[in-house]
Amino acid sequence: MKVLEINNVHKIYNSSEVRVHAVNGITLDFEKGEFAAIVGPSGSGKTTLLNMIGGLDKPTEGKIMVDSTNLAELKSSSLIDFRMRNIGFVFQSYNLIPVLTAKENVEFIMNLQKWNKKERDERTFELLKAVGLEDRVNSRPSKLSGGQQQRVAVARALASKPKFVLADEPTANLDSKSTETLLDIMEQLNKEEGITFIFSTHDARVVKKARRVITIEDGKVISDERKKV
Amino acid sequence: MIWKTAWKNVWRNKVRSLVVIISVTIGIFGGIFSVAVMNGAIEQRVDAAINEEIAHIHINDPAFRDNYDVQLTIPDINRVLQAVNKTPGVKAIAPRVVITGMANTATKSTGVQIMGIDPAAEKEVFRLYETTLPETGDFFDTESRHNLVYIGQDLAKELNIIRYRVDESVIESLAGKELPETVLEKLTPYMGYRFKSEKAFKKEMKSVLTLKEQHEYGKRIRETAWSFRERSKMTLTFLDRDQIQTGAVFRIAGIFDVKNNMYEMGQVFVRNQDLMNLTGFVENEIHQLVIKLEDIENTGPVTEALSNSLPGLEVMNWKEIQPDLAMMTDMVQKFYAILMVIILAALAFGIVNTMLMVVLERTKELGMLTAIGMNKKRVFSMIMLESIFLSLFGGVVGMVVSRLLITFTATKGINFQSYEEGFEAMGYSAHIYPVITPAFFIMVTILIIITGILSSIYPALKALKLDPAEALRTE
Repeated sequence: MKVLEINNVHKIYNSSEVRVHAVNGITLDFEKGEFAAIVGPSGSGKTTLLNMIGGLDKPTEGKIMVDSTNLAELKSSSLIDFRMRNIGFVFQSYNLIPVLTAKENVEFIMNLQKWNKKERDERTFELLKAVGLEDRVNSRPSKLSGGQQQRVAVARALASKPKFVLADEPTANLDSKSTETLLDIMEQLNKEEGITFIFSTHDARVVKKARRVITIEDGKVISDERKKV
Repeated sequence: MIWKTAWKNVWRNKVRSLVVIISVTIGIFGGIFSVAVMNGAIEQRVDAAINEEIAHIHINDPAFRDNYDVQLTIPDINRVLQAVNKTPGVKAIAPRVVITGMANTATKSTGVQIMGIDPAAEKEVFRLYETTLPETGDFFDTESRHNLVYIGQDLAKELNIIRYRVDESVIESLAGKELPETVLEKLTPYMGYRFKSEKAFKKEMKSVLTLKEQHEYGKRIRETAWSFRERSKMTLTFLDRDQIQTGAVFRIAGIFDVKNNMYEMGQVFVRNQDLMNLTGFVENEIHQLVIKLEDIENTGPVTEALSNSLPGLEVMNWKEIQPDLAMMTDMVQKFYAILMVIILAALAFGIVNTMLMVVLERTKELGMLTAIGMNKKRVFSMIMLESIFLSLFGGVVGMVVSRLLITFTATKGINFQSYEEGFEAMGYSAHIYPVITPAFFIMVTILIIITGILSSIYPALKALKLDPAEALRTE
């Protein structure tokens, strides 16, 4: 089942002096349950592509379909709502809300979606357990290590049961041990719960774990390899 | 969740938030406390005016007020009294004969309004009798076969009935009041002196005491040197009921002190019995009925009811008799609100500034929140709530502090002793008991919330304009 279709997408940035063709005609499909890495050097257009997939940026040309919704056709207010219900985000610098505890960060979106307390508590505990932080439920981000914070971020991204999780360089700020733990957790969630992960990275350790590696250069896909499991 | 997050966000940068909170606290406290002091002064003035000077409603002939013609008595008084007694809301009635005349002593004379009263009825309406100065007598309580007059302190001073003397007992008593030796020494040369008037005494004191000494001890010295000889007399001259000049010698029954120069100077009270003998008025020939109500709030309706049941007579309530009081009580409420609005408007700029910093500092986080699905309405509410919490927290602290200080000062009052003469010249007491109504706190709370909302709009709009993709890239 396809969760995401990218069809001949272009993104052109026009500033007064330069015209940048950041994404230049990319076409990609993602199936449910994929564990895919988008790799490429800085400036290759992978973050731009990820932003467009996540509905944070609109393509200049082309279509991005999530299930059967064309993101380009959504108004900005319904796009925010669409993101909340369908897409999980993990950012390079964790981006947790510093004044809230791990638990509160994870249940933030469930709160926005008005889940009742019982459901919320169950799901939050389940997710924090899945990322191995069931004993840090009431810690604030400042009391957690980078790796732990990123695991909270993964739990948060999964909170609303999204169609897929977008992770923009999730391991860039982590040491190798934390990277490994995080990747193991993501892999486990992928395998056991069938959660689709798409991440941009230039971290070899991530690439090694990915079952599909899409290489981008100058805004174009130059290779798309699927590994046999 | 948004409420909780907003509240926690307030405490993110504690120092910055505290600076805003403290400024709001000080502003609100300053505003409320000044309002309480002004309000206290005005309420005391109204209370004094009503309970010591004018009561709630006066009834008299429509032309009587024009020039106080002695012949304009209230016709058919028994019927009028009956009608007034039947009117609901009326608590007490004091009938008065009002005659304009002159008060004289050997050295001075001045124009006064002579009130012929029934002391018992008068006590039901006014508590003027409670203001009798100690050791000057009483409000006609002591029986006497002489004509008696009850006068104000300022009139007594003006007519040189109150004098000033310096003798051993005065010096001794002053020493007991902790006056420094140097001041006492300056007073000793005056031992045995009598001063005919306050003015003369003050002048003399001015010549020997320094400004600072006058300011600090002047009042105490005057109060101690104050002397009133019992059974002092004065002459009152006036027209009798046939418009013929008459007059008599009156003994001072007592001296009252109502903290209002004009009233003390202008009114003297005599027993109606004494006045009838001199003027030829008979019982039930009176000029004015002075009425006290059960509740001041009913002034309007009772005035109307009395006007309807007493056609041909003038019925005036305190707001009409003293429009300045009515204006004060009605207008100051608006003035208080304006004062608070001005204070809050100034504070609002500080809050706007802080909230702009907040948005700027949290650009990345706000971008993240929009990315993961927090919509504009919620981002806006969160910023707005932070601003409301910030201002309301400061406001509540300010209100609590002012409430405490008002309660504290309300028992003892604040004494603006050095400005006493000025206050009393305007009819105000210099000893003020701050007062504030709960309704005022409610109004201030609403104003604070409005301030919080208004000062968050601009920063919140800035937050809404953030592009999530771009905001996430900021470091």
